[in-house]
Amino acid sequence: MTGIRYGLGLAAGAAAALGTLIPAGAQEPIKIGFAGALTGPAAFVGVEIKRGTEIAIDEINAKGGIKGRKLVLISRDDEHNPVKTVAQYRELVEREKVVAMVGATNSASMLAVAPIVNDALKVPVICPATDATAITENDAHKQGLDNYIFRVGMYGTGQANFMVDTMVKKFGHTKIGLLTWTGGWGVTGRGELQRRLKENGLAPVADETFDNNDTDMTPQIIKLKNAGAQSILNYALVRENTFVVQTKEKLRNDMPYVSAWGIAGPAFWRAAGAAAEGVLTSTTVTIDGPQPPERTAFINEYKRRHNQDMDAAVFGVGAYDAVYLFKTVMERDGTEPQKIRAGLEDIPEFKGLVKHFKRPVFARDRHNAVTEEDMVMTRWTNGKMLEIRYDDKGPYVEIDAQTKKYLDKSNLKLL
Amino acid sequence: MYFFLQIATSGIATGAIYGLIAVGYSLTFMTTRVLNFALGMWVMLGGMLTYSLLVLHGIHPLIVLPMVITALFLLGLAAERFTVLPFLRAGSDVWVMSTLAVGLLMIDLAEIVWGRSPTPVPPVLGKEPIYLGQVSILPQQLIIIAAACIAFLALDLFYRRTLTGKAFRAVAYSGEVSGLMGINTRRLQAVSYAAAAALAGFAGFLVVPLTLAEPQLGTVLGLKAFAIAIIAGLAAPRGILVCGLGYGALEALISGYFYTGIRDILGFLLMILGLFLKPEGLFGRGVEERA
Repeated sequence: MTGIRYGLGLAAGAAAALGTLIPAGAQEPIKIGFAGALTGPAAFVGVEIKRGTEIAIDEINAKGGIKGRKLVLISRDDEHNPVKTVAQYRELVEREKVVAMVGATNSASMLAVAPIVNDALKVPVICPATDATAITENDAHKQGLDNYIFRVGMYGTGQANFMVDTMVKKFGHTKIGLLTWTGGWGVTGRGELQRRLKENGLAPVADETFDNNDTDMTPQIIKLKNAGAQSILNYALVRENTFVVQTKEKLRNDMPYVSAWGIAGPAFWRAAGAAAEGVLTSTTVTIDGPQPPERTAFINEYKRRHNQDMDAAVFGVGAYDAVYLFKTVMERDGTEPQKIRAGLEDIPEFKGLVKHFKRPVFARDRHNAVTEEDMVMTRWTNGKMLEIRYDDKGPYVEIDAQTKKYLDKSNLKLL
Repeated sequence: MYFFLQIATSGIATGAIYGLIAVGYSLTFMTTRVLNFALGMWVMLGGMLTYSLLVLHGIHPLIVLPMVITALFLLGLAAERFTVLPFLRAGSDVWVMSTLAVGLLMIDLAEIVWGRSPTPVPPVLGKEPIYLGQVSILPQQLIIIAAACIAFLALDLFYRRTLTGKAFRAVAYSGEVSGLMGINTRRLQAVSYAAAAALAGFAGFLVVPLTLAEPQLGTVLGLKAFAIAIIAGLAAPRGILVCGLGYGALEALISGYFYTGIRDILGFLLMILGLFLKPEGLFGRGVEERA
């Protein structure tokens, strides 16, 4: 009881103090929350989300906020631990009264949080990271109830479909080999890739795996080659992908190699160096190569603030868009969490950094903003992740605004 | 034939790493029956120090090597003195936990000092593969195989031909009697622990160009090496090299001819079977338990 009374006293005191600080007429700020890893191994994801959110909020506040009310970000470090994420979501919503959240860094965290958000907390969440399909396609989604979880990042099934379809339909490969990690993410990815190949009437010509202590992938690569694979699809992170390209280099193997977004950032080039040349990586957005002006502005602002390049641009860019999506709805429908949720399903067009959505960003039964059609396949080219585009002559990348280089479909080399 | 040879070669290269680490377990076990369970983390420390000196400070590899070995030797002496000896003196087995604790501490410190993202370390002789017929091997892998063989040969000569080496073996046989014979057992115990740490540092120096510098680089390697030390017999350093190379080749061949998913299952089943048939290890000679 003393705790509560003490808390109440403190709150009253704080309110009084705020009252004297805030000039008459100014309104209480609108709170947006984030709970994700800000320390530990996954911190690079959380830090990018936080920084992307901050840049968007500061921009909006500089232009007068939302109907005169400022936005503030309240972030918590969940250390990538789902138990902490759940507790912090509760704390942010129930005590801090945030009206919207920008996801988390761990798929397991979002899977744990989703039912609580939908059943109890009822606050809209937009996820820039966390790609497990079931986060947005959750129980509420399946039962046709109000689903509070939205996503501007990758989602699992979509990415697998996109990887397979790109190689089969755009590059004309029919003999696809798989090389996946036996860890959690790799196992899910392997299943998804197998499913999509089957839906294309294909089966993997070789289905290889590796685990954490494989630093030399010679047996796997030779088996894939002997099976006649035209390309290898992979689910893994920077470390394992580096071992794969090192082994390929040792064996002088030039089979096209396609990875999911686990290596979508400069960390891969730093680790693998020139051996990474020609690797394809699927992602939602790349900040390398020629960029639209609004993205350039964001990239420059990031550099100005933090004096470094983005390490995982997808997350920062996604978080930035998440805030602007909230803003769009709040200006139109107000700041009630339920109204924001409903409003998100009704944004007919949106000019974001991830992309310019010329169709409704979300729909009642589609809470993934980035669909398979919007995903981007990139090619690692001299340290840059360049988007692959297509014209009548085939796939190409733009080295700079003037130089267009076509790709050899059989080995992904520049022509 | 190419398939077999290429896979076996890369397996042997990995096996040499296992062997090099595994012999560290044997070094301490021979003298004190103590095992540094965190040897993989000491390998990591050696690798990260190599990264620091070589990449961040641009020091020549031939100067880096003695620096790393000396640093790890001294750290090994300190670790033995403060985290193992007190428990041995008290007749307690808690050193099992304390060696592990030191290892976990190292990982945490490494994450703070060097961060967690994997960073490349340039191999001493470059990345251009060497061809033996059709079969390709990285220069660094050749160096590791050669270094492992030399290290074992040197160790073998040390045990058999030098007085100190003979003293090691005497202490291994019976610490009490050796003490009565005038051998400074206490010093040998400390030195063997530090030597194992130094050897781990050597292994770290050699493997880091292949594994990337990152705080988890030694964890799994240390476990595999432990399995090999057990298969070979902890008191049989020569056998450890043979087992290391053989186990590495076997793993790669299982991956090649069967499936990577069953590699560890088959490997460890063989280990259990081997121990069942020969509990003192394939190369062990069944040293009698001390009273």
